[in-house]
Amino acid sequence: MTAWRTLHRRSLAASSVLSVAIATPVAAVLFRVLPRDWPAPALVATIAGAAALVVAGALVFDLVRLRTTAWRLTDDRLELRSGIVFREHRSVPRDRIRSVDLTADPVRRALGLAVVRIGTGEHASGERTTLTLDPLSRHAAEELRGALLHEIGEPHSGDPHGDRPLATLDWSWLRLAPLTVWTVAGGALVAGVAYKPLNALGVDLFEPGVVADLWHWVTTRPWLAVPLLLAANALVGLAGALVVFATTWGGYRLEREPGRLKLSKGLLTTRSLTIQERRLRGVELAEPLLLRLGGGARVKAVTTGLREKEENEADDAGTLTPPMPRELAAQVAGRIIRAGHPVLRPHPAAARTRRLRAAAVWTVLLTAAVAVAIRSVSWPVSWSWLWAVPAFVLPLALWLAADAYRGLGHALGERHLVTRSGSIVRRTVALDREGVVGWTVSESYLQRRLGLITVSATTAAGDGHYDLLDVGTEEGLELAARAVPDLLGPFLTRRVGRPGP
Amino acid sequence: MRTVAGAHPRRRRTAAVMLRPPRNQVDARAVKAWTAELLLLAVPVAAAAVAAYWIFTSHPVWLTVLTGGFAALVLGFAVVAPHAYYRLERWEVTGEAVYTRKGWFTHVWRVAPMSRIQTVDTERGPVKRLFGLADVTVTTASAAGAIKIEALDHEVAVALAERLTALTQAAPGDAT
Repeated sequence: MTAWRTLHRRSLAASSVLSVAIATPVAAVLFRVLPRDWPAPALVATIAGAAALVVAGALVFDLVRLRTTAWRLTDDRLELRSGIVFREHRSVPRDRIRSVDLTADPVRRALGLAVVRIGTGEHASGERTTLTLDPLSRHAAEELRGALLHEIGEPHSGDPHGDRPLATLDWSWLRLAPLTVWTVAGGALVAGVAYKPLNALGVDLFEPGVVADLWHWVTTRPWLAVPLLLAANALVGLAGALVVFATTWGGYRLEREPGRLKLSKGLLTTRSLTIQERRLRGVELAEPLLLRLGGGARVKAVTTGLREKEENEADDAGTLTPPMPRELAAQVAGRIIRAGHPVLRPHPAAARTRRLRAAAVWTVLLTAAVAVAIRSVSWPVSWSWLWAVPAFVLPLALWLAADAYRGLGHALGERHLVTRSGSIVRRTVALDREGVVGWTVSESYLQRRLGLITVSATTAAGDGHYDLLDVGTEEGLELAARAVPDLLGPFLTRRVGRPGP
Repeated sequence: MRTVAGAHPRRRRTAAVMLRPPRNQVDARAVKAWTAELLLLAVPVAAAAVAAYWIFTSHPVWLTVLTGGFAALVLGFAVVAPHAYYRLERWEVTGEAVYTRKGWFTHVWRVAPMSRIQTVDTERGPVKRLFGLADVTVTTASAAGAIKIEALDHEVAVALAERLTALTQAAPGDAT
């Protein structure tokens, strides 16, 4: 029987350093709150005592956690015992393990530690699908990764690029980094986020006096002030986007090891994620509108058993590349699945009709809503300005509708079903035909009149289903029947010159 | 070519390729069971609307028409919809796949291959139990792929679940 192993003791050093991050604001707040007339030594002693208490508390908690957590790797299972109050024993069969993720923030990195997260493919809702070992020594972590993902190490041949990594960071991609909504939100967002903690420390960004002065300044010289404020906002957003890109994607590298993909990234907090290739069901080329207008795209993995996006993460775990030029992204996607990019077929013109009609309907509804709002609220604008709503919204809606139609496309590759749709976020997904676990065909009342259907391939990976939106009825059904032999085919009827019932 | 029973009667356009309707209709008691289930929802909603109108307003004519219309619509839906559902809901289990059709305004066909089925459950809500009916739910590894065969005779549902479980176990693979 394999012996139980503990987490690494240097975790105590890491948690004491990290607890300083909590102790500092506590000290700052105390310094402001405590009465001014206390003698200096008492003031210092109280503050130092409080800070020491925070650090000591963190240390004790971590010590107990280290004492109560144990793990072991047997021949066929990975087991983890944990929990201080509620004891928990989790045991995962090794062949269920889909991905191994190593993370090291600057503190843990300096101490030679790494947090290991092991993803399993369970789809049970509400159940945690990752096992976390926080932390192991860097060496032990690498060793565990090697051991867990060892068995699938049959070397592939046929990749003409050999050992060259699939992609490495090119700093010129930094120009694509600002192309997100966050840049536009920019400074306003930063001020909003910073407001609370700064306020607690006694710095009030929005003191009545300041706000009034600012408002006065803006209203007296709007032609100077408004552009200036917008520029400042954009500048802060730009700087933020560049910093986020650099810290997230610095040192980025995507490699293929035998039977698996390995992604490394992070300038300060390093992360490396390993995905078993046999769990890969395809790739997605994601092009959010701004990034698309700038000629960029990013590649995501369609895979089973990757953990869900965590709250404090900018990207979900399936993201395989930073924003990069579209051509290059398409190439990387092709190399990941070892298939060329087939030419996509457009969808019937009826799909465009449907989108344009929807745009018109939404414009009418929005105008009506604004009209009602003007009528019911004593709004400072008069009826004569109502025309501005459709005048502004209609072109935008029509453009989005036409763009969404242009985005529609599908193809059946040798091994993959390729679908493309979306305007705000255009996604091109190549889904492994072997990964299709069923079909859902739906036909709404409007679609029925236009001769369209939506065919969706259900799969265990990624979103759970990938859709061919508004495809022609015959084309969609034939495609689904060909994509997975003998699944939909037996339920099709082909009418040869026979009128309807 | 086989004559297709139960094809959608209002279909005017005829595509050269179509999905044929699954072979089996749901149990005839389904209409009553669905009506009961929908009325259990619709009656309180309609009653609440009428009560609110009666207690809180001064009964203006336009609101009388609106409330009356709303109540009639909700109750009418509960009575009419089950007949439409019954006409359209069909299911079929072959040696290779489970195949269903449902929906009134939006028709939905679902297929799942036997080799990819992970679990088979039977379910009986209180109303369904009253009418001796049960639902069978078939799930695949996909988060979006559960197929529900509704309102079968309880005996039929149990037998079907057993048959599906046996067929599923016979099929190889880990179903992802």
